[in-house]
Order: sequence, then structure tokens, then C-alpha cells
Amino acid sequence: MEIVINGNVIAVPDDLQNVTLLDFLRDFVMLTGTKFGCGIGLCGACTVHLDGVAARSCQTYVSDVIDVEVTTIEGLDQTSPGEGLHPVQQAWIAEGVPQCGYCQAGQIMTASALLHRNPAPTAAEIREEMNGNLCRCGTYDRIRRAITRVAQEV
Amino acid sequence: METTTKMKSISRRRFLKKTGWMAAGITVASFVAFPVVRDKIPALPTFDAPSDKDGLTWIQILAEGRVRFYCPRMEMGQGAALGLTQVVAEELNIEQTDIECILPDTNQTPPFQMTVGSQSIANFFDPVSWAAAQLREVLRAGAAEKTGLSTDQIMDGRSGFKLPGGTTIGYAALVPATDVIITDNRLIENDNLKRYALRPTTKHQTIGQNWLHHDLTAIVTGRMAYARDISLPDMAFGAVVLPPSFGARFVAANSTGAMELPGVLGVEFDEAAGFVGVVANTPFILPKALDVLNVEWQIESDFGQEQIDALLDVERLRAEDDFTHTLDQSGDFEIGQQSARHRSSGRYDTPFAAHAAIEPRSGLVWVRADKVEVWCGTQDPFFVQKRMAKILNREAEDVVVHTHRIGGGFGGRVMCQASEAAARLSAKFNLPVRVQWDRAAEFQNNYFQPGFSHFIDAGVSKDGFITHWDHDAVSSSILTGLAPGLIGKAIDLATPDQGTTRGIRPPYEMTNKRIRHSAIRTPVPINAWRGLGSAPNAFAIESMMDELAFKSGIDPLQFRLKNLPANRVRLAEVLRKVGDMSNWGQATLEDTGRGLACAVYKDETAVAVVADLTIDHAAETIKVTKVCCAQDCGLVLNPHQVESQIMGNITWGCSMTLNEQITFAQGRVEQDNFHLYEPLRHGSSPEVNVALLAPPGTPPAPVGESALPPVPAAIANAVFAATGHRCRRLPIRYEDIFAETG
Repeated sequence: MEIVINGNVIAVPDDLQNVTLLDFLRDFVMLTGTKFGCGIGLCGACTVHLDGVAARSCQTYVSDVIDVEVTTIEGLDQTSPGEGLHPVQQAWIAEGVPQCGYCQAGQIMTASALLHRNPAPTAAEIREEMNGNLCRCGTYDRIRRAITRVAQEV
Repeated sequence: METTTKMKSISRRRFLKKTGWMAAGITVASFVAFPVVRDKIPALPTFDAPSDKDGLTWIQILAEGRVRFYCPRMEMGQGAALGLTQVVAEELNIEQTDIECILPDTNQTPPFQMTVGSQSIANFFDPVSWAAAQLREVLRAGAAEKTGLSTDQIMDGRSGFKLPGGTTIGYAALVPATDVIITDNRLIENDNLKRYALRPTTKHQTIGQNWLHHDLTAIVTGRMAYARDISLPDMAFGAVVLPPSFGARFVAANSTGAMELPGVLGVEFDEAAGFVGVVANTPFILPKALDVLNVEWQIESDFGQEQIDALLDVERLRAEDDFTHTLDQSGDFEIGQQSARHRSSGRYDTPFAAHAAIEPRSGLVWVRADKVEVWCGTQDPFFVQKRMAKILNREAEDVVVHTHRIGGGFGGRVMCQASEAAARLSAKFNLPVRVQWDRAAEFQNNYFQPGFSHFIDAGVSKDGFITHWDHDAVSSSILTGLAPGLIGKAIDLATPDQGTTRGIRPPYEMTNKRIRHSAIRTPVPINAWRGLGSAPNAFAIESMMDELAFKSGIDPLQFRLKNLPANRVRLAEVLRKVGDMSNWGQATLEDTGRGLACAVYKDETAVAVVADLTIDHAAETIKVTKVCCAQDCGLVLNPHQVESQIMGNITWGCSMTLNEQITFAQGRVEQDNFHLYEPLRHGSSPEVNVALLAPPGTPPAPVGESALPPVPAAIANAVFAATGHRCRRLPIRYEDIFAETG
């Protein structure tokens, strides 16, 4: 079995087909940007893109993503045209969003999927879409500013 | 000092090399700062505040003229490293690109104070500025020597100096390619040392600028290495069976099933330590291995919430008139009671709470014959070093703790339980071992914010002044919360806990007052949680202030200003400012309310907040829509970072007020994940509006927890404004308000 992660084909050993995508990413592919937070899909720290749509990798099994393009935070910049970081990553830096930073990969993956689907979300749509990503440091206000910045630049 | 004399007897260079604290470049070394004799007996947190000379051990000039700053603060999102980097840059006239800020391992600096209590800027600003200024003057002397000029002909330039006639000389030209150690007898007398960080803010070049944190790019690209992300070639993977309830004792375990699983290397029991762990050569088998390890525990305690509540019951203690400490007493509050035109009394309770940082803890440890290496995220790496030495029976200097950015601290990351488990397993199996906790382990095995129970009786004269203030409070000791049994009880009798009682003395003028406090230990492990007692105490005080204002018919803002003593100018200023920002006094719509509260954190940082909220009957929720905050924390090194901390505290305050409560049953924590303990989510988070003020020339004051204390009371007061319902117990839930009236 093979799966595609950030454009790279990864061969999956037989005994790892039924582990979570999160564990597979972190402990087999060694892509550690995707984080463990709760293990039951409630915090969003493990968010990745499956065919461009935000999904919880702790609630997804490797065998679920055979015909799916998996994108992690490490591959996000490849999904936007042009050189350098993805516009959402750039906005996150410009607004100085992160505090401890641990949840931010998940926040960025959810925000970039939202903006991909809806380039000009309303304030209410941002709140609703981002509601599944917990941030204990309380960066929500800056996250809204960063998403709005990207929406206005488009 | 003894240590200095001893130090001189061995080669300084050899010492610096051995400790890894050496650079090709200039190192100014004061050996007063290097303690030689290590404390071998207790593994205690690192309490000592730094002195100026400690600063010398944190800053080096590298051969290419760049500056390396071993920032003596652990990073967990508060960004103290950035502000202190700006201080270094201010003194040395350099740009952000000229300075490399390193989170030091324990072999890269002498021990420094643990990163707690919002002290990073307040305590470290001065030594960092002093040492960087000394280094600049060492360089200036070098420039004088090289050019044959006198030091007063050598003027400051960017990353170097300007010489008469318009030429310049950069630091790079002044630093030799080999290592040079300058000893402290070459330092400049304090009176003659120019400190650029101490100049008026209008003269600052880098202080006050919104530099962005040097870790941002790594964070947004997923390349930032947290402790959970570290791996070593050939490391093994450990997991621990944690006790099912507080104090449960390990009796026996059957490891046969686990040992038969592919990849399992072994199982380790330590009856005395109550430790059961398993090690495998793959992480993927660990859940199954834990499943089949049949561990038998003896339950030692089956207490529930009712027993805890009965212990921390202020009314019981009042009935018995039995408080351990009178924290403040003046005048005669019985006379005050008689002169009161309006009186109010009430009981205020706040629950136990958990840190709920998003990164569950993790440790990677490699125990070898001559060296122990630990990779973890901790607020006190030197405590971890001592603790590791103790459990492994090694010398502290044989232990190196590699520090990592912490995925949320909030007081919960001094201890290092996952690393301790990894150390035991590594020692047993002679492999580097990684142990990671899951969310349930994090909830069950951490330490907690204790519940608080307050009773206040107070009154107001016909002229609107506070006539008396009778405040009794009970909670558990926080700073000494982990002291065992009888030692803990003795401490509680000897002295009131500075953490539990933080902020319990109101900032207002009160002639007749009595404030009493008792600390009662429960079976629940207690230690620091953001702000310690400051938020629970301010909740009681500032709720009562609102009640008094309402009963007197005086506007809550005016009532506070009226009752502040003349020396509380800075608090009065932030109150007025938050009034302006929020258009205080403006009428509100139906089902909305606004509330005000203020506090002075650690008697240093003055904060006032106004919270606006909406009662959403359809969703049956209370939603804080906007919070305005005015804060005076003295000199601000980086306004963006300070605003971020204030936003974080406001979010945290909304969360503790509306959402958070830890409860106990059968000797264990009832909440094991975010569905049962749900920190405030994005959709419920308020818009935040911040103003920073400070009188000129005031030194930096605490920031990391300072805006939290007034938030719960401001929300409770806003609920009263919206509904007429006084909420004296946290968390405040919609159904508790409307169940009674509806």
C-alpha cells in the first residue's frame, strides 16, 4: 500500500495500515509539524488537508487515505502559487499570531482550507470554521486578524 | 564569596570548556556567577533571583562580531526572550539579525531562576542590560587599544563604533578568531557605566519596537521542535501505567501478555516508586501493550467532591471562628459596620482548575555510564537536572537537560513526570527512551489550581466611602502545595502562602478591615496555575465592590476612584482609561451587560477591564463579546508581545469564568479530555481592545499573568448588569442563572 503525503509517495508497511494518520506522520514519516493534542478530534492540533479539505489526522486511519492527497503543515507552501511561504503562513508571521505555537500548525491548516473554499469569509464564518481548533494561549483575536488580512489581500 | 576563591584554583578556561560555555570570540566571565558547590540533597525548584553579574554568563560576542544570547528564560509563548533580546540590542547598538538568541541547555549557563510568576522581564531586564552594557564597553576599550585613541573618542555606531574623521570600526574587527576571556576585574564601575536601556523611551532604538519573535517562521512551517518532536536514532519507546486514583499503590502486574507482543523489549516494575512501564522498539505497539498489562492497584483514597468542598468551606471556618492567619487588620470593623448606610455580604467560590495546555508532556532520556541527557520542555531545567540526578543516583553535573519550547506552560510545567519515567526505563534498558503522556494522563496526573472559598461582609457610608471590610478566605497552599504531609501542615501554620493569598489585600482605602486566611490541604496535589490566587481573590473583592457600588447607587467606576487612596495614581489612571476606551456609562441593550473590575498584580502592574456580554437565550449561553483592557506595566519592551499576553489572559479569564471546573469522584479527576473540560473556543472568544500606559521612567513590571485577575469579576458584574442576577460561584453557567428565575 502506498499513500501520497505532500506530493511524495510513501510505502506503508502492512502492520501500519490501521494506525492513525497522525501517528503515522509523526512516528513513521517523521513529519512532526502535525501535533497530538487530545486524540479524540476535539482540539484540532492534528489538522491536515485531505484533498484540500481540513481533517483531523487523529481520527483518520492510514488505510482511509489511499486515494487521497495528504498535505501537512510542512507541505502547505507547495499548495500556493509563487515562491516562499503560503499566504496564510505569511499573514501569521505579519500579525505575530503564535504564542507557545503548539496549536498553530492546526490553526493554519484549518484557516488555509477555509480560505481555499471561501476566499472572503465573514467574521461569523471565520468564528464558526475555527471553532474546532483550541488555543490555550488565547491567540483567537490575532488569528481572526491574520485570516482577515489574507482575505483582504486576495 | 567562598565560591570565587575556590573557582580561582582551577583553570577558568578549562571550566568554561567543560561546561560547554565557550565561544570563539569574547566571553566576559565573572566567577561569582558560577556556583561550584552543587546542592546535592533536595531537588527543589530554582528560586533565586538573578544578580547583575549573572548577566555576564548569558551574552557572548562571536568572532564574526555577532552576538549570542543564551536567554535565561524558558519559552512557552510569553515571548520574554524577545523582549530581553531587544535589551541586549539596545545596549550593543545592533539589529535583530546580528543577534542569535538561544534557549540554553543546562550545560550552557549557570543555573537561573525558574520561569514562573511573570518575573522574566521585571527581574531579568536589569542584569541583561548591565551585562550587555559592560560587553559594549569591553569592545570600546578594545577599539581604543587598536586605534591608539582614548575611549571617549570612540563613539557608538551600528554594530560597532565611529572614529574621529568619520571612519568606522565594526565589532567583527575587534573580536579575535580565538576565544578570549575577559574577567570581571576589567568591568566598569556602575556609576560610570552608560545604560542605554535606562534612557527615556524617546531615545530608545530597539526597546519599544515590535520585533517579531525569532521562532515564528519555524512555528508556522511546523519545524519548531517541541519536546514531543525529538527523536534519536535507535531510541526506544516507553509508556507508563499511571495510578488510577490519587495515592493508589502498585500491588502486582502480569507482564506475560505484553512480553509476547512483537517489538516489546521489556516491562519494568518498581513497587516502591509505584512505577509500571513498558518499552518497545516501535511506538505503535504501546497501546496494545498497556492494554494487556494487568496491573493491580490498591486504592488508598476514594474521596469525592463533597469531601473536598466540606474542607474548603469558609462558612464552617467562620462558624468556628478559626482562621490560621490574620493577613491585615486595622481599625475596628464592628464600628465600621455600625456606620454603614449600605451593607452587603456574600460567599464567593471558585473551583479547582487544570492547565489544559495543548501539548501533553513528554520526555526523552538517555542514561549512559558517564552522562545523562534529557530532552524536555520545562519551566525549570535546573530542577529537572537535580531531580534526574536524585532518582538515578547520579551527580547533577552529569545530567544535561536539553530545553525545548513548551507547548503551553501556565505554571504546569515545572515538574517532569514523563521524563522521570523515561529515565527509569532508559536506565533499565540501556537505550534512549521516549515517554509521552496522552490527554487523560495529563488531566489525571498533573497538579491543580485549588478551589477557593471566600466570605466578605462590607459596607458603605452615606458619603460613598467603604466603612468596613471583613474578608475571610480558605483555600490550599500553592507555592508549597507539593510539600509532603506534616511538613506541609507545619508550613501552613507558620506562614500564609504567598501564592494563595496573592492579591487578597484590596487596593482601596479602608480604615476598618480584617482579612483572614486559612490554608487547608486536601488529597488533591496543588501547585501553580496562571496567576495563582490573584484571579480567585480579585473575583471576590471586585464582585463585592460592584455590589457595594450598586447598593450605594454610585457608578462602579466612580465608586472605585472615590475609594482609592492618593498613592494609587497608576490604578486610577488605568480605570479612567478603560472608562474612555469602553464608553463606560453608555446605555446597554436588552440581554446585554457590561461590567468593570480592576486589580494590581503583585502590587506592581495596574490593570482595569470592562467586559461586554450578551445573553443568548436561543443558544442558552452567555457570550463575552468584547473586553477592553488598560494596563500599566511600566516600561514596555515589545508592545506586540505585551498585547498578546493581555489577549491571552483575557481569553483565559473568560474561560475560567464560563467554562472550567475540575471535580473529583472516587479519588480521581472526573474530567479526562476537552469534552468534559473545555477551554474557551474561538467562536466564544471576545474582541479585545488594549491600551498600555506608564508614567515615564518606570521600570518594567509583570505582564504574563497581570491582566487575568480582574476578568472573572468584570464578567460576573456584567452578568448582573444584564440579568440582575449576582453570580458568586464560578463557573457561571446560563442554566444556573435562568433555572432559578425561569
